[in-house]
Amino acid sequence: MTDKFTLKKDHLTPFLRKLGKGNRLVVPLKNRHGDTLFTEIDEIDGAPLDLATQPQNSIKQFLLPQREVLSTYQLQDSGSYEFTPVVPVSGPTIFFGVRSCDLSGVLYMDVTFLQGTTDAPYRKKRLDSVLIGLNCNHPFGNCFCNATKSGPFLEYGADLQFTDIGDCYLVEVGRTKGAAIVEKWHQFFTPAEEKDTKKQYQAFLEARGSFSQLVHVDQAIKRLQEDGVPSEIWHQLSARCHDCAGCAYICPTCTCFTITDSPLTADSGERLRSWDACTFSGFTRMAGGHNPVARKTDAIRQRFMHKLCYDVQKHGRPSCVGCGRCVDMCFGGTDILRFINMACEGS
Amino acid sequence: MKTAQLEDYLPRPAQVVEVVTENSQIKSFLLRFVDKKHNAGFSYQPGQFMMVSMPHCGEAPISFSSTPATKGLIRLSVRKAGTLTSAMHELKEGSIIGLRGPYGKSFPMEYLAKRDLLFVAGGIGLAPLTSVINTCLADPEYQGRITILYGSRTPEDIAFMAEIKAWQANAAVECLLTVDLATSEWQGNTGLVTSLFDQVAINPATQSAVVCGPPMMIKAVLSALAEKGFDDHDIITTMERHMKCGVGVCRHCHMDGKLVCVDGPVFTLAQLKELNVMEIS
Repeated sequence: MTDKFTLKKDHLTPFLRKLGKGNRLVVPLKNRHGDTLFTEIDEIDGAPLDLATQPQNSIKQFLLPQREVLSTYQLQDSGSYEFTPVVPVSGPTIFFGVRSCDLSGVLYMDVTFLQGTTDAPYRKKRLDSVLIGLNCNHPFGNCFCNATKSGPFLEYGADLQFTDIGDCYLVEVGRTKGAAIVEKWHQFFTPAEEKDTKKQYQAFLEARGSFSQLVHVDQAIKRLQEDGVPSEIWHQLSARCHDCAGCAYICPTCTCFTITDSPLTADSGERLRSWDACTFSGFTRMAGGHNPVARKTDAIRQRFMHKLCYDVQKHGRPSCVGCGRCVDMCFGGTDILRFINMACEGS
Repeated sequence: MKTAQLEDYLPRPAQVVEVVTENSQIKSFLLRFVDKKHNAGFSYQPGQFMMVSMPHCGEAPISFSSTPATKGLIRLSVRKAGTLTSAMHELKEGSIIGLRGPYGKSFPMEYLAKRDLLFVAGGIGLAPLTSVINTCLADPEYQGRITILYGSRTPEDIAFMAEIKAWQANAAVECLLTVDLATSEWQGNTGLVTSLFDQVAINPATQSAVVCGPPMMIKAVLSALAEKGFDDHDIITTMERHMKCGVGVCRHCHMDGKLVCVDGPVFTLAQLKELNVMEIS
């Protein structure tokens, strides 16, 4: 049996309508302000699906919510102090239109949360999710996924991988959950012909040739691994960092979090997990005030070393997926593109 | 393949059995899990730590100051430093706290069991070392010589007096104290803990050094030990960092490319030298 099919563009909405039955559906949607965001929808008919723009968010927030209740706690007069787990209630979720960078971001989160210790809240949401990828025919202005080897086209990782080849999508089956969808909704799919895969290859070649950023990620990684970059670079960038964490929040692979208590009454409360960022000055500060990271000079060092050096050593690849979002986000000019260019200068 | 441990971040209730006031800043808490079955099956190693929950305060990592040789009862010794530890200092016998763990890599106990041991501690830093010392002393196979050098700020700040008295009464142990600031009654040594090095037998060929204390003290002791000829692999310390998850995910405890919660908190000087670490830079 072939694992490549075509799906007519006219059939996309009916197909998603079928998928939406019994599943939560998350798609790139243009809102009333004109912004495109991954959004959970109840009804696909009439929804302003936008597959032409890079969504401002990745799908990170659905697997690692910005604020998540891990458990609740209760205190009683008897002196008892009990925790009750809170199981995520998202249910089966289909993510459609996930671009290669964001899909690579999920694969990286899988490494973080499922290897070594398995993070139960993440695992539940991840097992509940189906990823339908969308290869990128037209990289956007700040994109450099070609340099991080996480796009523009993805060969593995998705349950189903879509490529726009004109009047239809080429649909490749990646994993068993994808195969099950094709089998269940077989009426939408036609086995792909050679001309379809040729069109896909043509689209890939065009996409690969249309990046406007020339970013030497490999060179920066090599430099960091060999002798590191001059400390002056860390100092300059740290001085310019405004400590806003915009880069971390928008990043598909930044998963640092904090755990805090949020009292509800004098005798009860919620234990929360929330996004955090290594660039925050309080991130490493210990009780009593001692901070092992010199914030003025090294506030931003961990961010780039983690993505471009430590993860390469540990997992064989950087954890920047080249989506370019932080480049738009950072108003201090300390984004990863700036760093990579500085790291490569004079090397 | 090792099955991955499933972490749900859920603390278990544990009851305070006894509170010992060590000094004005440090209290020790003897604890057992409320769930008797869990308490009976609970095991840990010296150098590991627990994530402690206090109502409305979140969590903080605290290392064991007890030896696993004492079954069914664990001890955590805590310096009053922030919100959570201040709340802990209000605990009474019978109070309930939350615990999850144990986490982290322990001291290399199998290796240490074959060596003479030099313990160098400052302040609350004696807590995790107490776990190692008393584990060795409880081990009938252990044949080595134990030397303990403990520095405090003032004579009033000397913590773990009950332990110290027991060690000083034990012929197999040499335990010397020093203070930074002496009072008129103080008869003992005054000066940094490194000033005690000349008063004890040091033999790097048969001895391993185990060190814990405030960052500046660790830094001074590590370099003094290196000068005495200790191999970097035989200088072992345990690091303190801000932590949230305890399982290598939240990354608060990053130390260059390592995470103190899963790669440590116990490190040899050889390991630390591979990293960009404040304590030794």
